Amino acid sequence: MAEDKDFFICRCEEVTLREIEQVIDEGYDTLDDVKRITRAGMGLCQGRSCSKVIARIISQKTGKPIEEVLQVSYRFPVRTEKMKALEQEGGSDATDN
Amino acid sequence: MAGSYDVIVIGGGIIGLSCGYYLTKQGKRVAVIEAGGFADGASGACDDMILFQSKKPGINLELAFESLELYKSLVGELDDSLGFANYGGMVLIQNQQELEVMEEFVTQQQSYGLDVKILDRKEMLRKQPFLSDRFIASTYSPMDSQAYPFAVMHKLSGKGRKLGMQVIHKSPVTGIEKDGNGDYRVSTGQNLTYTAPVVVNATGAWAGKVAALAGAYVPMEPRRGQIIITEKVPAVGETNLWTAKYLVSKLKSGFEIDSTEEEKRLGLGFAFTRTEGDSYLIGSTRESVGYDKRTTMEGIRAIINQAVSIVPVLKDVNFIRAIAGLRPATPDGKMILGEHAGMKGFYTAAGHEGDGISLAPITGKLLADMVCGTTDARLGELSPNRFAKDAKEVS
Repeated sequence: MAEDKDFFICRCEEVTLREIEQVIDEGYDTLDDVKRITRAGMGLCQGRSCSKVIARIISQKTGKPIEEVLQVSYRFPVRTEKMKALEQEGGSDATDN
Repeated sequence: MAGSYDVIVIGGGIIGLSCGYYLTKQGKRVAVIEAGGFADGASGACDDMILFQSKKPGINLELAFESLELYKSLVGELDDSLGFANYGGMVLIQNQQELEVMEEFVTQQQSYGLDVKILDRKEMLRKQPFLSDRFIASTYSPMDSQAYPFAVMHKLSGKGRKLGMQVIHKSPVTGIEKDGNGDYRVSTGQNLTYTAPVVVNATGAWAGKVAALAGAYVPMEPRRGQIIITEKVPAVGETNLWTAKYLVSKLKSGFEIDSTEEEKRLGLGFAFTRTEGDSYLIGSTRESVGYDKRTTMEGIRAIINQAVSIVPVLKDVNFIRAIAGLRPATPDGKMILGEHAGMKGFYTAAGHEGDGISLAPITGKLLADMVCGTTDARLGELSPNRFAKDAKEVS
């Protein structure tokens, strides 16, 4: 029986180990590359659960040191946030009605 | 020496990859040289629209029709759905003045063959039940479509590479000069040199800088567009949405638009599009801040305020990320596509501003045709040489 690789690494976007390895085999070797192509890490948790696992997979497959693979940029919002949390009085069009 | 090719494409965004793909398909040996990684520039930080309604009747609208047809054939050619979808689009109108401008615009677009009409308030609300009360009418076009930029780039690159195209990442171009044989020598940050008789400058907002390396003139300004992304939510209405406010100000110069100072500074306009991942992309700003592509609290807040005021149910939706990309803007709002006068083999294909995803396939196809010797008389108005006079004034 073939090795089972059809389990989810990124649960938010349902991306499997097989899909991630395929993209690395195509020559994409950074977290951003893998994320942009597979959507792994683009979901609700924004890679908080899976990005370290993906970094380890990239590191193992390419031989790049894990520290190098883990260098990614984080952007606001750090956590997901309801829109009303940022909505303010007097902003553009906010005084509708 | 890192290699010699028939064509070197500088820039591995959606425009560069499309140029590379169509050139490779015509049998050229192509290297695509990208300064960053996959989708690192504006093509990876944008919305996903193949939008017709925003285009002025003329070459932009004509090319958008042709590009849509190419997208449909690429779905088969690249063996992937490419996230291609056809939700249609509506432009929301909030007063009589806007309605008059939009009615005129819609009539012009219809005469160009665009399937578009004005909906009254009742028809509008049937398609978009969650809108704020303030809109009196809207346009509707069933033709507005979309594609998922990451999938398009991944598959253009993958199929291109299968046919022999080279894609080289992390290689910022530092010099372009002619060698003794009349070929271009393109050197990169890694001290590698690539040579080819033809160079295509497809570097978007950076096209002016890259052209200058070769001694060519390209007037290009970066415009920062910020966009927020929501969590997955059920569909809000049937179509994608825009507001007429921004369009009307582009269409009618001197038209008084009631905007706050902040809105003007941010160039705020409403764009609301459903993605392949069942989330929404909500935009956007249009800011002149040089090459700074950070997101800002001011920008994100303005986008959210605007969105909640137009579609109030969004208040309880989570947003999970904000992105920003530098849209390449030209002085006349038309892309630059063609060979530079006096510089045989040096082409620019850039300056799509907000139309890069819409126009990528047709841009690549036309560029490849030009390089391979087919001329299209319509393309004169897109030539980089239309700015030659300005170049003299600059120098």
